[in-house]
Amino acid sequence: MKLGVRALLFALCGLVMASMCGFSPDPAQKVGADIIVTAAPVYVPRAELRGAERFPKGAQLLLVHDGKAESLVPDFAASADANVSFDGEMVLFAGKQKAEDPWQIWEVNLTDRKVRRVLTTATDAERPFYLPVGRMVYALRTPQGFRVQSDDDGHPPRYQPMDPVAGPGPVQISFTRSSAFPADVMRDGRILFETGYPMGTGSIPEMYLVYPDGSGIESYRCDHGLPRWGGEQLTSGDVVFTQGQALARFTSPLAHEERVTAPQAEYAGAIAETSSGAWLVSARAAAGERYSIRLWKPGAVAMETVIAEKGEDLVEPVLVVPRTTPKRFPTALHPWSYANLLALDARLTREGELQGTPATVRLEAQDANGRTVVMGTAPVEKDGSFFVQVPGDTPIRFALLDAHGTVLRQQHGWFWARAGEQRICVGCHTGPERSSDNRLPEVLEHTTTPVDLTHARATDNAHAGSR
Amino acid sequence: MSRATQGRMRFWLVTGLAMLAAAACVAAFWSGSTANAVVTGRTGEHLIYPAPLEMVFAPGGNRLFVLCNESDEVRVLDAQSWAEVKRIAVGHEPRGLSLSPDGKQLFVTNSWDDTLTVIDAGTLDVTATWHVGAEPSSVLEDRAGKHLFVANRISNDVAVLNAQTGEEEKRLSAGRGASYMTESPDGSRIYVTHVYPNASPHRTAPESEITVIDAERATVVDRIPLHSIAGVFHAALSADGRLGAVAELHPKNLVPLAHLEHGGAFEDTLTLFGADVGNRTVEVPLDELERYAARPFGVAISPDKSRMYVTSGGSELLTVIDVPRLLRYVRLHRAPFVQDLAASANYVVARIAVGRDPRGMVFTPDGSRLLVANRLSDSISVVDTRTNQVVSTVAIAGPRKVSVLHYGEQAFYTARYSFQGQIGCANCHIDSTFDGLEWDLEPDGFGRDIVDNRLIEDLKGTNPFKWNGGNPDLPTECGPRTEKYFWRSENYDDLTLTDLITYMRSLPSRPNRWKLPGYELTAAQARGKAIFERSVDKFHQPIPLQNRCSYCHSGPKGTDQKSFDVGTKKPTDDMSKFDTPQLRNVALTAPYLHDGSAATLEEIWTIYNPEDKHGRTNDLTKDELNDLIEYLRTR
Repeated sequence: MKLGVRALLFALCGLVMASMCGFSPDPAQKVGADIIVTAAPVYVPRAELRGAERFPKGAQLLLVHDGKAESLVPDFAASADANVSFDGEMVLFAGKQKAEDPWQIWEVNLTDRKVRRVLTTATDAERPFYLPVGRMVYALRTPQGFRVQSDDDGHPPRYQPMDPVAGPGPVQISFTRSSAFPADVMRDGRILFETGYPMGTGSIPEMYLVYPDGSGIESYRCDHGLPRWGGEQLTSGDVVFTQGQALARFTSPLAHEERVTAPQAEYAGAIAETSSGAWLVSARAAAGERYSIRLWKPGAVAMETVIAEKGEDLVEPVLVVPRTTPKRFPTALHPWSYANLLALDARLTREGELQGTPATVRLEAQDANGRTVVMGTAPVEKDGSFFVQVPGDTPIRFALLDAHGTVLRQQHGWFWARAGEQRICVGCHTGPERSSDNRLPEVLEHTTTPVDLTHARATDNAHAGSR
Repeated sequence: MSRATQGRMRFWLVTGLAMLAAAACVAAFWSGSTANAVVTGRTGEHLIYPAPLEMVFAPGGNRLFVLCNESDEVRVLDAQSWAEVKRIAVGHEPRGLSLSPDGKQLFVTNSWDDTLTVIDAGTLDVTATWHVGAEPSSVLEDRAGKHLFVANRISNDVAVLNAQTGEEEKRLSAGRGASYMTESPDGSRIYVTHVYPNASPHRTAPESEITVIDAERATVVDRIPLHSIAGVFHAALSADGRLGAVAELHPKNLVPLAHLEHGGAFEDTLTLFGADVGNRTVEVPLDELERYAARPFGVAISPDKSRMYVTSGGSELLTVIDVPRLLRYVRLHRAPFVQDLAASANYVVARIAVGRDPRGMVFTPDGSRLLVANRLSDSISVVDTRTNQVVSTVAIAGPRKVSVLHYGEQAFYTARYSFQGQIGCANCHIDSTFDGLEWDLEPDGFGRDIVDNRLIEDLKGTNPFKWNGGNPDLPTECGPRTEKYFWRSENYDDLTLTDLITYMRSLPSRPNRWKLPGYELTAAQARGKAIFERSVDKFHQPIPLQNRCSYCHSGPKGTDQKSFDVGTKKPTDDMSKFDTPQLRNVALTAPYLHDGSAATLEEIWTIYNPEDKHGRTNDLTKDELNDLIEYLRTR
């Protein structure tokens, strides 16, 4: 027995010494799963938000197994944007069979490597993500920039929804005249996407949320102004993203971002979380160097390189593992061409006190040519409430006016309401942390008919709807 | 090293590792042995589960008394090993449990028997069963041992009993659905909460109260208002008596229920009161931006007032609050806080997953552990109050199979199916009843078709559902409709929906407190019955068939399952015909009419029946209407 104890101690000492001498498992092994990354000779972060090409000299997806990388779809001239199916067996990606082709959505079966075209579009289709119920979401290039859109992914729905999100075929999800890209599908079923802030006009990358039917558009958080991109939801529910060139996160308790104390580096885009809670990140030591895939355990002082390729930037790491399917969203859109919006108290905002009393609210919309069109005004009640009918699927924005018609506050950017949507706003840019007061809005005491602002009018209709 | 030595080393190395593995297995098995009972199957049988609800330690801390709500008993556990010592049978649906101040007696309120069981805490024998008020839900004895105070949910009062004889001396008016009581540390005050909102004008925010009783004089000395609150559960006071807190629901029933994000349907809050918050009330949220503490129920303050704990039945978690940080926050910031979902980041320090439908809590005598009763997991989570970790889970012995009904009840009480886990069926159907509120649902248009929430007991034979009769059956009511317009998220799978429906169909009608034994009618009730069934009015004019009470409200449950225009359509209603509601326990479910506009039964006819379309009643005197109401109360 003494010998046995000695042997055991010996073995333990050996293990400790081996780890001290650097014989710890290979970082790729620590990941515990295969990885897919996008490798590109030239990578221009966030170029796509400006309508430019992220990978101007092409890109290819690499499958990293036991630390060794191989091309995932070698017959493709270009491939990028891998998204692994919820069962871990398939991969959606953006690819070009020939260099001159537009980016299209494809799917590869990881077992037999068979590749299938999922979607054929005349223009670039990028950044695909699986949605529940046989759907996917992606970005489609249009003359106004990329828009977020969903479509069938070619697989039969695993669950026949009582009311499918949109039935078969494409569904437009974003409606502003600026580029927007899906970044992740949240566990609550919403789509996290990136576009410029202020939405529809600005150029600061920011993250927003929308339901898969395009309703419920809102900022993830309202501490705007910092460039945020590459959001990814962790198992904890936090969303980690790149802010500038650093990492930051949104957490459920806080209405503002929290910096992630990670090793000094330039980070790029989305991370991937391993089963042990470590993060795969795309990072480089400084400008001019190449992005490689590193493994970092939050709290650790250093990262380990999992894979680096000479002359290539490695970005967009994803793990080849099954994952929890997000909640399916049951659309409740009505069969209307318009939407109804109820503001509970337009005076409320996180931007400070109003310098006056709002008397009316003015709706502006963008026409098909991007011109701003005044749709009319509606009264604002003493308690700050108003109830309006607005054109659906159209960029719109509000301005609060006092009794003299002076603008008290103008919405920074554009947003939309889906045709058939009924939505409530707590205030005007109050932030997602602001919950509604349990109070009957005065406007609903006067009328349950919204003021119709669906058609551009020469005269104001501030008193319409009262009865 | 010889080959033999190497072999021995290898042998002992392998043996050692095998022993380590075996030890790990034993440890895992040992820890698992305290976990929930192993589920061995799914069954359609009607099985009785313990359903632990409340707990209290015996003086000295050697025994734990566990009130089991479904098996109608008190389980006595050894506080060291958690081994079961005894099962004490009590009355039906026991809901409240407390020890006498001298620790010699254990009191249990049996909510459906309307009785109080007195147990000798030493011998563990039942020594008395006393009749008390309607649906007694909690009990406390004063320090002098003179009075027992019993909160009665249905009669909305607190009965004051002679502690020696059980004779009722008087009743103190409390809030509607009076249910839970806690006393101040010096025993001088009793704080009573209630689960249904007090009457308030139609389409105004609900009002609730904390009824404060002077324990020595047995009189109400204060009513602390809780504005906008409907559903108040446990209360707790700090050991120094300077801080009180109640767990409560803050509904958004006046705002159209268009979506759930940002607390669109409910907020889960605490109201703080007492000297620590300036002797005012301060409502603070428990929720976060994307994570909710749905259906807060139990609240406990650690003996040193460093921590406050709140159970959330819907979210199946325990929220841990840093009390000094909470007090600092409310002192330094300007109220109101309740609309700020980021506020809880300032004082919530942990959210601990526990079992299903966690309810009551109790600290171990040394304060090192907090026990949480998981009603629908039949277990007790033992939480280390230093590390905020569940260190063990004590199974309360029950059936090894899980019945369809049990699964269905779990589905009813959880919030996990709704968007971000915000609400569940039990939010609006408190303890599988109703909430006394009117709601503005989205699909009918904002501000249109306001609907009163209905009791869901004894549903068989009362379809269709919804006030417009639009849902022909429960699967339609609870399936796609609930998914789209309430949960706003992926709903149940088919099996879970079947479980849920089976559970809902199983809900019995609670005992009717207005019926005499033997179902005889009082003289007033008999007169009311005659009015209900009459075919000729007081002027000897025949009453058209469809205008007789008994025509629409026919059958054993008082509904012919059809819709009628009874003249109650409001300008905001799209329809004029409404489903005939059943009359079972109609006395409990104010307000009335499809939109809850009638605050009382009487108002149905005195205010909302000017054309006699809702029965011929304008020929009746006030006394005759009272007779009619007396009869309706027996249904």
